[in-house]
Amino acid sequence: MPERPRTTVEQHERSQAVDPTVPAAMSLPALRPSAVFPLDVLVPQVRLQTPAVGQRATRPDARLHGLGLTRYIDDMSLPGMLHAKIKRAGVASARIVRVDTSAAEALAGVVAVLTGREIPVNSFGPTFQDQPVLAAERVFHAGDGVAAVAAISEQIAAEALERIVVEYEPLPAVFDPLQALEANAPRVHGGASNVYASKTIRRGDVAYGFAQAARIFEGRYRTQMVEHVPIEPHAAIAEWDPNGRVSIQSSLGRITLGRADLARTLGLPMNRIRLSGTVVGGNFGGKNEITLEPVLALLAKKAGRPVKGVFSRAEEFTASTTRHPFIMDYKTGVTPEGRILAREVRLVLDGGAYCSWSETTLGKACILATGPYRIEHLHVEAMAVYTNKTMTGAMRGFGAPQVCFAYESQMDDIAAALGIDPLELRLRNVFEEGSISPTGQVLQSVVIRKSLEQAAQRFGWREGGR
Amino acid sequence: MKRRGRGIACMWYPIGFTVSANPSAAVVMVTEDGTATLLTGTVETGQGALTVLGQIAAEALGVATDDVHVVSGDTDATPMDTGAIASRTTYVTGNAVRLAAHEALSILFDTAADMLGVRPEQLEARDRKIQVKDFAQRSLPIGEVAQRSQVVLGRPAVGAASYNPPTVPMDAQTGQGKPFNTYVYATQIAEVEVDDETGEVEILRVVAAHDCGTPINPMLVEGQVQGGIAMGIGFALQEEILFDDAGRQINPNLTNYIMPTSLDMPEVQVDIVDSYDPTGPFGAKGVGEPTLVPTAAAILNAIHDAVGVRITALPATAERVLAAIKAKRTGASARLSAVSADTIAP
Repeated sequence: MPERPRTTVEQHERSQAVDPTVPAAMSLPALRPSAVFPLDVLVPQVRLQTPAVGQRATRPDARLHGLGLTRYIDDMSLPGMLHAKIKRAGVASARIVRVDTSAAEALAGVVAVLTGREIPVNSFGPTFQDQPVLAAERVFHAGDGVAAVAAISEQIAAEALERIVVEYEPLPAVFDPLQALEANAPRVHGGASNVYASKTIRRGDVAYGFAQAARIFEGRYRTQMVEHVPIEPHAAIAEWDPNGRVSIQSSLGRITLGRADLARTLGLPMNRIRLSGTVVGGNFGGKNEITLEPVLALLAKKAGRPVKGVFSRAEEFTASTTRHPFIMDYKTGVTPEGRILAREVRLVLDGGAYCSWSETTLGKACILATGPYRIEHLHVEAMAVYTNKTMTGAMRGFGAPQVCFAYESQMDDIAAALGIDPLELRLRNVFEEGSISPTGQVLQSVVIRKSLEQAAQRFGWREGGR
Repeated sequence: MKRRGRGIACMWYPIGFTVSANPSAAVVMVTEDGTATLLTGTVETGQGALTVLGQIAAEALGVATDDVHVVSGDTDATPMDTGAIASRTTYVTGNAVRLAAHEALSILFDTAADMLGVRPEQLEARDRKIQVKDFAQRSLPIGEVAQRSQVVLGRPAVGAASYNPPTVPMDAQTGQGKPFNTYVYATQIAEVEVDDETGEVEILRVVAAHDCGTPINPMLVEGQVQGGIAMGIGFALQEEILFDDAGRQINPNLTNYIMPTSLDMPEVQVDIVDSYDPTGPFGAKGVGEPTLVPTAAAILNAIHDAVGVRITALPATAERVLAAIKAKRTGASARLSAVSADTIAP
């Protein structure tokens, strides 16, 4: 270890020692201790080497994480800042008859209350703008926000939520995506059908391919709804300047899109919005669109003070996007040697209450559904269906983990039935450099065979490694 | 009894958005001493993207990683970026950074050409120097060139550029088109132990061989793969949001929604597959999302290998695995008696 500048821990402890002349109230917890870390940072050699590409360079932010000095939104505080909480519907499908916020407004410490009717443009979404910032007329899933409060403390804001009275008229609901496809199913967003996105990929002639096949394998596979569960929940702080410009610090991973959504929902020109992405404590696709940011901006405007909001863990599950549950039907025809001749796939995505990133998830799942294999005859059909459940959206893999589970499960069933080693079966079918993808694209830099061989060698697959 | 099994799964995954434009812009500013600042509109979400973008800028400028300071994620101060999504940052933003660095460098090459008595196209940037290609003994420290360029000639070395992957829209009826500019490939192999009396699955080892094009930072690639596998394990065995009959979640908390912790992590061996994509920055593609794509499939195939049951609905909880084992036993004994009946009958 090279010599580091002497850490100032002892000096720090001395500085923190209780001074009897200072009243206890003056040791504010919000004050950061002075220099508990060396300010003369020793830069690891690996960051000083050229060429830079290929180096196992350490991250400057990792040092701060390690020292516990990274400032997330929850660590930040602005003078006069208020704390916001959002009231959640708790019912999955209903018409909002009445929202009475008077008791909440009367509570001491409450500075501003907001309902869906006060949002300038109460809809957003990357493909269809079908999601309200706060539900005003209609609740589409139990995690919908119906009102929000800014108060001088989180506790008072939470107490105020209890005093908001919302009267609902229950409406029919549908929770199962296959039921949602039925002709007499309740229509989540009206319209002729609950199917709001669909995609088809066709190459060759699957009927011909199946007719040529020695064996045909069929299976249905299902996956569940999961959450991203970032350690840091969705969080933001909004503050207006006296010229009517709003600054928002947020845990969003996409500030360009976020600013566009804010401009739409707040009815402001884009250049009057400053959106800064703070260090994000985990995203995994869950922080790709606005959630509480417009609510905080409007509460801050009403209150004339900065407003911070942080999702509770429960809100993280119920009021942010999740991974789409899939129902996947696979039919595959093969030769006796295990060459895949034809594959037919039907995907039904539980699209939840709002579209969010379903269209993208559907598209990627569709394109990837037949696997990294050379298949002459294929047909993939996929659709996303509204249900009165938590909205499904972007999550690491965009539908690929679901279809990979299905196509690779079936590959092993084919291997077992034909008495071919699972590795060997894959090697007989995988893409090569220049292979044609299901959408007709010529593929380049294709190294799937190399990856199979490398993993098998490392594992000791051919030696029967167990 | 505990039974061991192994399962393999491979996958392909695209980089960037499906057909839709997903541009990134970047600004690279070389300061008078030869260090540099990169402005990017993307956000660090924990994956190390800013470090990788800094390395790409450094490589293009011929300086070291630490010579580039990265400013990110502020709509008032940084250029637009489609953001941390779709495994696109290294490839799309990385290409924008590389192009912006070349813009800045071309100003430095103009300045250095006069100083070195050669033409700008004869120059290259390497080891913090601007030097003549194939004649490296004629060179100048990059700081000296940047200083002269800005302070004497009045031409600060600032470059701006953007990149958007070229795609072709998909036909509405057949889906034919070029939705992405490039894809990555990977294989994972899982080794598990299944207790056939309780249905409990323990993952002993996961071997992963991932293609990411050139690994800009191999350590961060390994980190992504390890994290993706952790997420894939939760998807395979444990995690599930459950609803009551009225459509309300019943386990929106970390007590009843079970995630894998460090104690659930098996031994993970990561291999980076040798690969180079000429369309990526210095041959790089990306690695963020694909890391969890094959994990569940490999684990479920390993469970099948261990105890002979095919779980077709995730997650493969101990209850589900045990139920399948029991069903198989009953089914197997039923078939066995049928066979015996056949043999006795004639």
